[in-house]
Amino acid sequence: MTDHRWRELAAAYALGALDPEERVRFEAHLVDCATCRAEVQGFREVGGLLAYAAPAAAPPRTVRERILRAARPVRPIGARRGLILPWLAAAASVVFALLAGNAYRHERAAREQASRALAAAQDSVAGRDSLLATLLSPDAGTAGLAATGQPPSARLFWIPSRHRVVMAVYRLPPAPAGRTYQLWAIAQGKPVSLGIFNTAPDGSLRAVMNAPPDLAFQVAAVTEEPAGGSPQPTQQPFLIGKLAGGD
Amino acid sequence: MASQNDRPAIPDGELVVRMVGRDERALGDLYDRHGAPVYSLALAIVGERADAEEVVVDSFGQAWRTAEQFDPARGSVTAWLATITRTRALDLVRARGRRARALTRAAVGNSEGLAAPIAAAGEAPDRGVERQEARRLVERSLAELSEAQRRVIELAYFAGLTQTEIAAELQEPLGTVKTRMRAGLEKLRGSLVPLLSRGES
Repeated sequence: MTDHRWRELAAAYALGALDPEERVRFEAHLVDCATCRAEVQGFREVGGLLAYAAPAAAPPRTVRERILRAARPVRPIGARRGLILPWLAAAASVVFALLAGNAYRHERAAREQASRALAAAQDSVAGRDSLLATLLSPDAGTAGLAATGQPPSARLFWIPSRHRVVMAVYRLPPAPAGRTYQLWAIAQGKPVSLGIFNTAPDGSLRAVMNAPPDLAFQVAAVTEEPAGGSPQPTQQPFLIGKLAGGD
Repeated sequence: MASQNDRPAIPDGELVVRMVGRDERALGDLYDRHGAPVYSLALAIVGERADAEEVVVDSFGQAWRTAEQFDPARGSVTAWLATITRTRALDLVRARGRRARALTRAAVGNSEGLAAPIAAAGEAPDRGVERQEARRLVERSLAELSEAQRRVIELAYFAGLTQTEIAAELQEPLGTVKTRMRAGLEKLRGSLVPLLSRGES
């Protein structure tokens, strides 16, 4: 191919429009040809400006925050984050405690308040950090809860030193009206409630639950219960799993 | 791009250098300058707002992580960001098994091409004066192309099609598509000289 013929490929190459074989041959040529490299560079600038041919649209404000948040290195809670985030992290712990405590009481208003606060906490960076800090505990054990032949599943992280359970649920449709899900630890054959929960419309959930001190268990299970939860399971568990690792 | 800010504008290239030094504020400044055109580009390719937001977050994330790979001798920050954004947007469209928004529009045979607004309810116009100028010049330059030239360039740029795919899409001979694309881009390069020579600062 003559030099002239090569140069004719530069424009299409800069737009990524060459067919694969042609592209490979042209790239091999580019290694040795400064003229074509300069040509490609020129057309790449044209490509940069072509972005302005797209209809003008304004991204929502949240995009900027997400970009900056993603750029920030992950740090332990309270380290160099300013005042508000540690405060939020503290609030998140309180919220989780409230939620677990309410599993035994049936105060609708308090429960709603708690679940709203829990949702807010989960959305906050602090909530994320709290999850992370918990998961990074050296004594964390984990259990995968799977339903037999069913799509929903859950992964449980149990951190005895913090009396805390972190749960991630996947593909579990929200409980019907008037019903809730309840997580149980099976200790010496006896179910102990770890708290009630519900999933988001997309079937997912991440939650932190506080466990009673000195709880030791190897099996965890999830049942569907009347709203507010039950002192003891009223149904067969539909998710059940055995703990691996941990202390 | 110069800004309407009261503080003197830091050149784009300098912002990227600061990003290499993990300066988060530089990343924020870069976003303030380029976020809207990058989002517009992503939206034109993927068609869905939520997907476009994803692409923008990912693209600036990539710019942040790979800032040290940016070489001002090899092109402008605008072109660098556009390349990253186009790649990620087209990848997302392919991953979803969808046709790019641009392709759907072309198939409908919209004679005004992509520069015609995609139902733009509630979208804010660009604020920067220079950006508006750039947009005007790009639109005018595209309008000077023949309809056929513009079509092939848009299919390559916004729909990520190769020349062979464009030929199939338009049912035109491959040679014709190649000629149109090259002639169109050369003409664009000529009419965009005022923006191209302005460079980075």
